[in-house]
Amino acid sequence: MGVDIEGARPIARVKSEQDSFEALFKAEYARVAGIANRVLADAQEAEDVAQEVFIDFHRLHSASSPYAAPWLYRAAAHTALNRVRGRRRRERRELAQSVDEGSRALDPQRIAERNEDRRRVRQALARMPAKPASVLVLRSSGLSYSEIAESLGVRTGQIGTLLRRAEAALRKEVNRGTP
Amino acid sequence: MAHLNDGTLRRMLDDPDAITAPDREHFSTCAECKARQEALGADARAAAALLAVPAAGFDAGAAYKHITAAPARPRFGFRLPLLKRSAQPVVAGLALAVIVAVVATASVNVIPIFAPKTVTPVPVTQAELETLPDLSAYGDITWTQQPTPQIGLSKADAEKVAGFPAPHVGSLPAGISSTVTYAAMAQSTGIFKFSAAKAEAAAAAKGKTIPKMPAGMDGSTLTLTMGPALLVVYGDLPKSENSQSGQLSLPQLIVAESSAPSVSSTGVTVKQLEDYLLAQPGLSPQLAADIRAIGDPTTTLPIPVPVQFATSSKVKVHGVQGVALGDNTGVGAAVIWIKGGHVFFVGGSLKQSDALTVANGLI
Repeated sequence: MGVDIEGARPIARVKSEQDSFEALFKAEYARVAGIANRVLADAQEAEDVAQEVFIDFHRLHSASSPYAAPWLYRAAAHTALNRVRGRRRRERRELAQSVDEGSRALDPQRIAERNEDRRRVRQALARMPAKPASVLVLRSSGLSYSEIAESLGVRTGQIGTLLRRAEAALRKEVNRGTP
Repeated sequence: MAHLNDGTLRRMLDDPDAITAPDREHFSTCAECKARQEALGADARAAAALLAVPAAGFDAGAAYKHITAAPARPRFGFRLPLLKRSAQPVVAGLALAVIVAVVATASVNVIPIFAPKTVTPVPVTQAELETLPDLSAYGDITWTQQPTPQIGLSKADAEKVAGFPAPHVGSLPAGISSTVTYAAMAQSTGIFKFSAAKAEAAAAAKGKTIPKMPAGMDGSTLTLTMGPALLVVYGDLPKSENSQSGQLSLPQLIVAESSAPSVSSTGVTVKQLEDYLLAQPGLSPQLAADIRAIGDPTTTLPIPVPVQFATSSKVKVHGVQGVALGDNTGVGAAVIWIKGGHVFFVGGSLKQSDALTVANGLI
């Protein structure tokens, strides 16, 4: 008694966990996917990331944890940034996609320029250290200063400074990556 | 009064009410602060414009149905749990078995005669993991000696089980607990027997057809040897599973040493096995190219690196090539290398630079 062995959980508790996870998923999914989309500028891939993050959270933590939402936000930003960093092959797919989009669009040159801009910004984000990049992504995804602070494990009073530095760093990184 | 700092000026742009009355009063009369805010406001507006994305609607209900109907899990289950700040206790407890079994299982897909001398990273995505053939669909494995990790041993007992001295960390990075737990695993051996009938039946059940096994493969065996291995864990190991949330922290640092896994074959050649694997339907062309690019598969241990969780790079450790995973955020990092016929692993919730320092300082 008293020992909670995973395989022997009472059914009610398992059910409650599943219900909690479903409630968490439905409450936070759009926001988590939005954070990933902010980094990736690709809604479909952002959904992949969001689902991965939720599955990962579910595997490791209780859905009723008080840190669930901040954990998901940070994980979404980190996972999406890692995807940008780790994906040489993504570039090839995007190239094919932009050609495809261009063939259907009214202004192929504009489409190509837009894709190039997004690619450059994402690469600049990916070159930045994780914390400033995450601050930028979370803030531009609409999180409040206190939500960002909770997600990144820093004091709310530090967010203004972190944000300021991150915005200056992004400008430099984007300029550095511009031919 | 001193000028307002950049953080305060930046926050005023988002939340003008979040500053104190004296700060507000200073700002209203300070041309310098106003000029600085104008400059940083330009950066803020530029960043917002750069990070703007087209509006996207996300259907949580449909997404929930999708993940509950077909949970996306890698077939071989290797998710590098060591890169997470926390994990279930079983993961922490069986970390050694994961490290050894994972790499050996991955290796057995391509290498019938295998004695690795070096390591190389192979970036994979979850989708690519899904395309890997499921080994259990191609035959049956029987263990002559089951992998049985023993956890919570004394140092002497762990060394006795492993048959070699425990790796010693020269100096611990700041903040790492000096509480040490030892685990060990004796050598284990498994025999995998190929079955063409089983492979074809498994493929047919999924509505697919697979290429015929090359001559001599059906009924032939691969003998897989893992360990012995020894694991040193720094930090508190979870003691029970009775916490309210079920969340327990992974140890801060894990140092592991194992005899390099090896595979021997009764009939199949390296070339035959590699060709057969790469001819399986659904295998991602990128992953196939990565596998082909491994180099000499008989002496190279591929380290699968899920790109969504970790980045990887090649590093020098003790004069040989190793693979470093993770980054310097402190969320998780690991270094893996092979020297003297042994695989070494240093990892945990620490910075990559600290993991490298520990790795190079290992005695």
